Amino acid sequence: MRLSFIRPISCCAVSSPTTLVKPQTPLFLRPPTFKTTLTDLKKWHLWAKSLASSVGSAFLNLDNGPDSNQLLRELNWLIEDAIGTPKSILEQPHKSRNGNSTVLIRTCLDELYVLWKQRVEERRPFQYVVGCEHWRDLVLSVQEGVLIPRPETELIVDLVDEAIKENEELRDGLWGDLGTGSGALAIGIARILGSKGRVIATDLSPVATAVASYNVQRYDLEEKVHVKQGSWFEPLRDNEGEFVGLVSNPPYIPSKDIGGLQAEVGRHEPRLALDGGASGMNDLIHLCDGAVSMLKPGGFFAFETNGDEQSKFLVHYIETKKQGSFSKVKMVSDFAGIQRFITGFRGR
Amino acid sequence: MTVNSLKNHPHLAGEICVTLNWQEIKELKSVISECEDDKDMQQMASEVLSEATEGEKKFQVLLLKSLLPKDDADERDCILEVRAGTGGEEASLFAMDIFKMYEKYSVKKGWKYEVLEVAESDLKGYKEAIASISGTSVYRKLKFESGIHRVQRVPVTEKAGRVHTSAVSVAILPQADQLDVKLRNEDLRIDTYRSGGSGGQHANTTNSAVRITHMPSGITVSIQDQRSQHMNKAKALKILCAKLYEIERLSNQSSRSKLRLKQIGSGDRSERIRTYNFPQGRVTDHRVGITTHSIDDVLQGDDLDAFIDALLLREEMDAIALFSST
Ligand SMILES: C[S@@+](CC[C@H](N)C(=O)[O-])C[C@H]1O[C@@H](n2cnc3c(N)ncnc32)[C@H](O)[C@@H]1O
Repeated sequence: MRLSFIRPISCCAVSSPTTLVKPQTPLFLRPPTFKTTLTDLKKWHLWAKSLASSVGSAFLNLDNGPDSNQLLRELNWLIEDAIGTPKSILEQPHKSRNGNSTVLIRTCLDELYVLWKQRVEERRPFQYVVGCEHWRDLVLSVQEGVLIPRPETELIVDLVDEAIKENEELRDGLWGDLGTGSGALAIGIARILGSKGRVIATDLSPVATAVASYNVQRYDLEEKVHVKQGSWFEPLRDNEGEFVGLVSNPPYIPSKDIGGLQAEVGRHEPRLALDGGASGMNDLIHLCDGAVSMLKPGGFFAFETNGDEQSKFLVHYIETKKQGSFSKVKMVSDFAGIQRFITGFRGR
Repeated sequence: MTVNSLKNHPHLAGEICVTLNWQEIKELKSVISECEDDKDMQQMASEVLSEATEGEKKFQVLLLKSLLPKDDADERDCILEVRAGTGGEEASLFAMDIFKMYEKYSVKKGWKYEVLEVAESDLKGYKEAIASISGTSVYRKLKFESGIHRVQRVPVTEKAGRVHTSAVSVAILPQADQLDVKLRNEDLRIDTYRSGGSGGQHANTTNSAVRITHMPSGITVSIQDQRSQHMNKAKALKILCAKLYEIERLSNQSSRSKLRLKQIGSGDRSERIRTYNFPQGRVTDHRVGITTHSIDDVLQGDDLDAFIDALLLREEMDAIALFSST
């Protein structure tokens, strides 16, 4: 297991997968090299506000999309990310600033018009518009082709944290994050591991592995997190039986439900990240099967599911079909009270 | 005798030093009375005497201070809560001014000022705002800011130019962590914004508001300003812990220190402690009876120390008085 980290080529964040994907820099990290005037910026702001207000609760009623209030809050964040000069200048019109004073922004004003139009009219997710998602205490780069990490998923890191606190041996072992997407779980977990703890993060999507590598690099975790491209356990063959922990948030939406998804999700997020086959559980079942041989005795797993029905099914599946392989298998609910996760340990 | 070594053995060191000083003073006095003829000598002796007496006094105060009961929260960081009271929009605008006053003051002190939550009013004032302030002796310096701050000025909304009186309440709570208040996960209920759908991969939302309910006490804290649910939750927990700690502290505090707080007037959140009068450009603190005429400097955080130092001195004096009367 250690060997794979010592191999010189495995400088993960740089070694790009076969297809070259260049990760985009989130808006807030770009240099504020564009100039506009306060007057023009305010004109844009007014226009953007009225566009947001015109939505009312139409999207909410249509498909659980954002309402005006939500969009207005996002607009504030867009400004926060786009403006180099402190944002307060927009709020203090009278104070010693005339309309011609220059404001530095991180993209040109025309682009700000385009971005906000895309947000409202095309329902492009806000996180793709600004190129990042705030998740736990991290700010992760995201772009089209990579799933935007969900707030529910934050809890998996807490579950791992609890497991580690109960058994400190897990802190310095090898962890796996399967279908890592933006790298959210891998990075969140790497930051609670000990000096010897490592994470291998895999994904089939080249965009995902590129973005995950970029995020790993941004958090200075190249030594700890190794990103590999490939399908589920395939890139981990060398490490069979070595993992002290496995986590995954695999695609779990039943195929038939994909068409009815909220526009932000259905129209813009990658299907590869969402579609879990007819029952939605193709990948989850594959993961439960594979975990048996990948985990060390006493190793921990946590998987996210579509909710009560899938979690119950999987617990039953493990108890009957994987009899004796796992212990302490249970469901854990998210903050909305939905049985969102299944967790357990490889039997000793 | 240095103050440092005094800290190590306040009682012992104090006694020796006082005795020495006393002897010195006694000798000097006898020199003065014996050297009636030697004017120079007398002059010199009385100079030294006044120095020694002065030093003696200072020393007594230091000694007393070191013996005074300390508020164990003094060194903690704090949570600042500013809430608009009577006076509608004008109160909200003033709440914003006050909130920013503490921000500027904190920056000047080299403290970290972190906004946790702001509920804006229609005119972009603050209906309620919460911040976390951390640094050296934050709670000690700010604890007497709790109470009602009253403003008298012509509101921007007022056409006739009449002066209105409105009020803002300020609460300063020492910060505490989950261990301080023995918070158990089982006692917490955490609610998040529910889109009503299946959540998870189905939903894209930027609303990560969190409400935490502490079931035994019924206290709830909601935070929605942060961009991640985790951060909203962390901030809500921080505020909840401060609230629980304050409750615990108030019920445990000895009657003596309660009395002290009451005397200075911060035992009661509903007490009017300060008036900011714009037409006259003055700020008056009703507890120490101090008025400054540089209202702008106060609101810029520059002159706040005039009040804070006076209040701290008053606290000390009250404590000394109480101490020596027992
Ligand atoms: C729901 S997303 C989760 C992403 C990330 N872990 C998170 O929680 O934000 C599922 C991820 O699984 C990846 N995936 C889908 N099929 C896969 C496969 N056969 N092998 C590896 N990863 C796969 C997708 O590309 C996507 O990044």
